[in-house]
Amino acid sequence: MFLINCPFCGEREQSEFKAGGEAHISRPKQPTELSDDEWAEYLFMRKNIKGIQFERWNHSHGCRKWFNIARDTSNDQIKAVYKMGQKPPVI
Amino acid sequence: MLNYNSPLVKENSYSELSMKVINPIMKLIIRGKKREFLSGVGKAINMILPTESCTSSTSNDTTALWLSPDEWMILSNNVIDKNTNSYEQENHLINNISKINLGAVVDVTDQYVLINIEGKKIFDLLSTGCPFNFNDFRNKKGGVIQSLMAKIDIIVHHKEINNVNLLVRRSFSEHLYSFLSDAASRI
Ligand SMILES: [Zn+2]
Repeated sequence: MFLINCPFCGEREQSEFKAGGEAHISRPKQPTELSDDEWAEYLFMRKNIKGIQFERWNHSHGCRKWFNIARDTSNDQIKAVYKMGQKPPVI
Repeated sequence: MLNYNSPLVKENSYSELSMKVINPIMKLIIRGKKREFLSGVGKAINMILPTESCTSSTSNDTTALWLSPDEWMILSNNVIDKNTNSYEQENHLINNISKINLGAVVDVTDQYVLINIEGKKIFDLLSTGCPFNFNDFRNKKGGVIQSLMAKIDIIVHHKEINNVNLLVRRSFSEHLYSFLSDAASRI
């Protein structure tokens, strides 16, 4: 359990949020030109590192807005919270 | 014609705490992003929507709650006529907002149940099942938050000091009300 600072509502408990997986994955511009392996790479393969990971979260029981966080997966410390469309901070 | 039959007709009192379901109250959800949307709403219901997060604004007959950067709930301050489900303010909003594609107006009068809680122990009661930290909120008149109470989505509107409106989805209202009455009898 940890607290997340929603960029719209302020600090709230994690149970109000839903995790939305790895952030900054862009859909390939020409899916038809990809091989099955490349398409599978885009669809399914996600990083699962020990350390700082950039993730999408949704404040599902609050303002229902999506945003990004940079979270250290080893100790759940949140290093940065930033809005959708913003570039990931250098950490 | 819609039939206003509240799933709950309840009123309970405890020491320094009382709860009551208030029905029917007009409830509308409005959504929009454009600047023209904000001014259109202002014109339609004669009040300015709160743009600061987790706040509300009130006029003589209407209250607007901030729910999200592009979503608000509009409530009537008093109970409305039981014999109609057409409201003047909704009609103004439909004409000024949804008919000209500035945003959406949805009537949720029967979708939400409004529980009014009064007394000194409101936040002790809410803390029995809500993860929100009420330390600052309890002194902030007009504050609005959405959170969970016993895992049920709620909207809390701090109407006056020692007076809070709790909005909950209709199908969860009976369960939430029994949770609240049980908790209230123990604090
Ligand atoms: Zn939020």
